[in-house]
Amino acid sequence: MEGGFLGFLENNSIYIVLFIVLVVWLGIFLFILNTDKRLKAIEKEFGKVTSEGKEN
Amino acid sequence: MVWKLILFLLMTFVIIAGIAFPIVPQPTSWYQFPVIPGLEEKAKIIFFHVPTAWLAVIAFLMAMVYGIRYLKNKNLDEDAKSAAALQLGMVFAILATITGSIWAKFTWGAFWHWDPRETSIFILLLIYGSLFALRSVIENEDKRARLSAVYSIIAFLTVPFFIFIMPRIMVGLHPGSANDDTSGPVVDFKMNANMQMVFYLSLIAFTILYWWMWKIRYKSIIINENLSKK
Repeated sequence: MEGGFLGFLENNSIYIVLFIVLVVWLGIFLFILNTDKRLKAIEKEFGKVTSEGKEN
Repeated sequence: MVWKLILFLLMTFVIIAGIAFPIVPQPTSWYQFPVIPGLEEKAKIIFFHVPTAWLAVIAFLMAMVYGIRYLKNKNLDEDAKSAAALQLGMVFAILATITGSIWAKFTWGAFWHWDPRETSIFILLLIYGSLFALRSVIENEDKRARLSAVYSIIAFLTVPFFIFIMPRIMVGLHPGSANDDTSGPVVDFKMNANMQMVFYLSLIAFTILYWWMWKIRYKSIIINENLSKK
C-alpha cells in the first residue's frame, strides 16, 4: 500500500509541487491578511490619538 | 472583504490550473492545454512569469505617476505611494528574473545567457536599484521625495525600450525575439481559448494581489513616518 502511494508520488511529482505552491500561497495570503488587519487597528488607534491631541 | 475571498479563490484556481492541467498535442477536454512548439511542458511558466514582469512595469509606471503628483502637490503621501510602488516593482522584477532563469535552465541549458531580454531586465534592476541607494543617502525628506520623483520619471522612460522594444528587435533566445520562428507571439496565436482564459485570470489575480500589497505598503510607510516625527 505504502509502495503504491510512494510510486504514485514518484510518477506524479507535479502534485507535490502543486501542494507546496498551494501551501506557500496560503501562507502569503494569511500573512498579508493579518498585516492588513493590524495596520487598520494601528490606523484606528493613531486617528484616536490625533483627535484627542487636537481636543486638548 | 468579498474581494479578498475572490482573490484567494482566483489565485488558487490559477495555481491548480497552471501547474496540474496537462499539456497534450490534441486537447479534447476543457482542462487540457495545447502543445506550444518550442515551449512544450515548460509553457506553464507563462502563468507565473509573465504576470510578475507585467506587474513590475505597472509598479514602475505607478511610481512615475505618483512622482509627478508629488512634484505638483508637494504632498509627502504621494512620495510614500511612489516609494511603495518602487519597492514592489523591484520585488516583481526580481521574481520575473528568477522565474525566467529557472525556465532558461531547462530550455537553454543554463540559468543565464546574456540574451537581450535577460540583459534588459538586468539593466532595469540596476537603474531602479540605484534609486534605492539614492533614497537611502538623503535624510531631508522633501529633497529625497523631489529627487526620487524626478529619477522615477526619467527611469520609467527607459522601461518601454528595455521591456517592449529592445528584446523584440534584437536576435535572441527568448520567445518573441526578432529571429523567433517557433513560439512567439505565444498568447495570440499558440494558446487555445481555455489557456488564454487561465492566463488572463492569472494577470487579474496577480494585479489584485499587487494592488493590495501596494496599499498596505504605502500605509505602513505613512504611519512609520508619522510615528518617527512624534
